[in-house]
Amino acid sequence: MHIPDGYLSPQTYIPLFGLFVAATAIGVKKVKTDISARNIPYLGMAAAFSFLIMMFNLPIPGGTTGHAVGSAVIAILFGPWAAMIAVSVALIIQAFIFGDGGITAIGANCFNMAVFMPFVSYYVFKIFNNNSSEKRRVTFSAFIAGYFSLVLTSILTAVEFGIQPLIASTADGKALYCPYDLSVAIPAMAIEHLLFFGIIEGIITAFIVGYFLRNDPGMIYAFRKGGKDANR
Amino acid sequence: MNSIPSYLLQPESVQDAPLNIKRAKLSFIDKTILNSAKTVKSIYQQADCAENDNLINKINPHVKLISLIYMAFVISLVSKTSAQLLISVFIFALYIIARLKVFEVYRKIFFLAFLFGFLVVLPASLNVITTGKIILNLFTFNKPSQFWIYKIPENIGITENGIQVVLLVFLRVLNSVSLALLIVFTTPFPSFIKSFKIIGVPDTFLMIISLAYKYIFILSRTIEDTYFALKSRLTGNMKNSSLRKLISGRVFFIFKRSVVIYENTYFAMVSRGYNGNVKLHSKHHFTLTDYITLVLIISVGIFVIIIN
Repeated sequence: MHIPDGYLSPQTYIPLFGLFVAATAIGVKKVKTDISARNIPYLGMAAAFSFLIMMFNLPIPGGTTGHAVGSAVIAILFGPWAAMIAVSVALIIQAFIFGDGGITAIGANCFNMAVFMPFVSYYVFKIFNNNSSEKRRVTFSAFIAGYFSLVLTSILTAVEFGIQPLIASTADGKALYCPYDLSVAIPAMAIEHLLFFGIIEGIITAFIVGYFLRNDPGMIYAFRKGGKDANR
Repeated sequence: MNSIPSYLLQPESVQDAPLNIKRAKLSFIDKTILNSAKTVKSIYQQADCAENDNLINKINPHVKLISLIYMAFVISLVSKTSAQLLISVFIFALYIIARLKVFEVYRKIFFLAFLFGFLVVLPASLNVITTGKIILNLFTFNKPSQFWIYKIPENIGITENGIQVVLLVFLRVLNSVSLALLIVFTTPFPSFIKSFKIIGVPDTFLMIISLAYKYIFILSRTIEDTYFALKSRLTGNMKNSSLRKLISGRVFFIFKRSVVIYENTYFAMVSRGYNGNVKLHSKHHFTLTDYITLVLIISVGIFVIIIN
């Protein structure tokens, strides 16, 4: 899901960086009013947790193991605005320290995984869960939130890839950036995420949210904001 | 009062999987240990290299950040492989000057570039993706055909244009990764983060990054320890469902641990006069070396764009 350098043209990564900066500016303002002076260490902790959640490999039905992108879990636990800042900080650290994701693509990666994905997952969770605190419903909603947010994010990423041959090619049809057009990029990304990665994300999101619900429901932002007390 | 975590009070269900149930391999424990160990190692390695005494380490972090952004932009603009190769040589020369462990770092760089810049783009060398003169024919069908929205030509092969596309993307990824790692390995992380002030990143955001970086280090160690403890207690296989419950418990434990660390940090900050406003101070001053570096980098960028 991390876009490396070299795949996106300046015509794509500069506007996406602008969108990410605008969203972050709003996010910082929103979070400051929500959690006051504690916001800095709190968001630092949330960012570290969103980074670390990718380390946990879980056994997946079928004999394999996998890890989550984590944006859906973070959005449900911390709320979409805090998740936006936390995941973007984690992505910036990944890009600069671990070489995971490009420098020029930071705006695009943050927009996809730190802005788009947390908001989609959070609102999908809210819609499906409908303020319920019943365990099955919560875990099912968390699964759907994780699944759909990842699938939709993969399609968004595929569109960013797929438009490259249209906006940056030489006269003889040679692509200057990502060489795959929409007819290749969308099916390639969508199919693998619909059939495999989306399910992994959904399962891991459901398990983690389910565990929090059983042990400390008060920590789940989605319940604190407009949800009932999660006492079963 | 310290209380014993609930998972320690529960008996491990090591033998709870009947023999006929498909058992999970416990490789995920090793994977998680490996991931956390890699993170800790990278942080140590970065901190260790950044303390070296050489010409590049001495350059002002602000200059390095501006150079990184400028060169990353140049790399993304350059569309000729010869110009990209020139950038590769230039970056390699900087690695030599920085006296880094070139073989070790380039092994990592080539791995990342091979994975993201070569394997992913390799199919683009075929004429079904990149049109052009076929230089190596791979398959020949009786006639051209159509599958859904895709046109399948009579001959499928590698084109000259396709090879150029693959090479260009590979070199772009290689150059970008090597450049980013060069800066990372020659700049202490706190100074590097503070240098973002020069491009207008707010202090609050930089403080969050600094804290997150420290938490990641502390918590990675915790994950490593927790998983070693878990591994030492698991002598057999467990049911997948039990394992998932167990791992979810570990995630929950790490979350609670991070909340404790965050609260301690917050109280420590308050005791030192923190009132919600952050102002980071950067002590670096520009020297003649910094100005020469800046001029050199800008000149290289312009030269590469001209020959492109």
